Amino acid sequence: MAEPGGKETSFEIRFSDHHFTPQTLVVPAGQPLVLTVVNSSHERIEFESFKLNREKVVGPGETIKVRLPALPAGTYDFFDDFHPDVAEGEIVAK
Amino acid sequence: MRPCPCSHAFLCVAAFCSLGALRCAAQVDPWEFEVYPYSTTPRGMAEFETDNSVVTSGHDEGGEGTAAGTIRSQGMWSNAYEFSYGLTDRIEGAIYLNMAQPDGGGLRWAGDNIRLRGRLFDQGVLPVDVGWYAELEWHKTPQFDDAMRELEFRPILEKDVGAFSILVNPKFEKVLAGVGHDQGFEFGYDAGIHYRWTRALSPGLELYGGAGLVDQLGPLNGQQHYVFPVVWGELPHGLEYNFGAGYGLTHGSDRVIVKSNLELERFVGALFKASADSGWFF
Repeated sequence: MAEPGGKETSFEIRFSDHHFTPQTLVVPAGQPLVLTVVNSSHERIEFESFKLNREKVVGPGETIKVRLPALPAGTYDFFDDFHPDVAEGEIVAK
Repeated sequence: MRPCPCSHAFLCVAAFCSLGALRCAAQVDPWEFEVYPYSTTPRGMAEFETDNSVVTSGHDEGGEGTAAGTIRSQGMWSNAYEFSYGLTDRIEGAIYLNMAQPDGGGLRWAGDNIRLRGRLFDQGVLPVDVGWYAELEWHKTPQFDDAMRELEFRPILEKDVGAFSILVNPKFEKVLAGVGHDQGFEFGYDAGIHYRWTRALSPGLELYGGAGLVDQLGPLNGQQHYVFPVVWGELPHGLEYNFGAGYGLTHGSDRVIVKSNLELERFVGALFKASADSGWFF
């Protein structure tokens, strides 16, 4: 079982003012990751990534964690499935 | 029906999966050609889904192929209407209405289901993501199914390997009332490999089968085993689809079944706050 805070490297993505920050998140390839998704807006969002096969609802003011396996080098999408007008972000593993 | 030579490899896999648990004319549910993933309906989301199948080349007598009742499978349409709700980040509840339209007949009620489905831990915590499924099904329609009440359990297993998701749902079903209530558990399986190509269109391969009673051997050719090449994805306005054609691999299977599943999710309001990160069940 993967232990939180063990060999995983943590990164934060914040949603506020109807957009994600950072829009492009650069992470190391080949290492398990934990994304902390902070919704500091007043909107409910669904943090989703098609390529990474992840989706989770994040209420206003809520914080969630998304665990990812070691990623091969590449670009992976993420978006708010509740709001198609919110610009998609990307995770770049290199 | 003669299975094609390429079906032998699938039969070997099916025989291995069966682990010796066999009975002729084992049941495969034509209302649910769907392989469940580890993920559940997100918290506070309602999902409306319709699972449809039609047997385009089946059997001419009841009790054979996917027909578990007195009406033949040939030309049978099966329509399931499902409403699911994400209770928490890890548990969803669902109710179903099952309808059927025999060849040349009208649409009729064929039964109802209720179920709970959940996932254990968060995705990626375990080497293989593990979920669970418990369902109660009832019907008083022996023309479609001679069992009146059934209970079904499944572990749900999923492993992502790059852009592939490997899904396995072994099924254990017990008849509580009706024909077969004095027998043990039946064993079946739903399984699939889905490739994530684009959000709009992705391919996959799904397997469905019914092997028979866990404690009673039977001939492999009397079981049902199907392979479905499928396409799946998301259409505009969030409408998700999964279409495919299934080919029976044994004499006990229907020869060709076409399926089309459609689902739409909308947020309707959450009852609970986000599940604790350290939790594993709720």
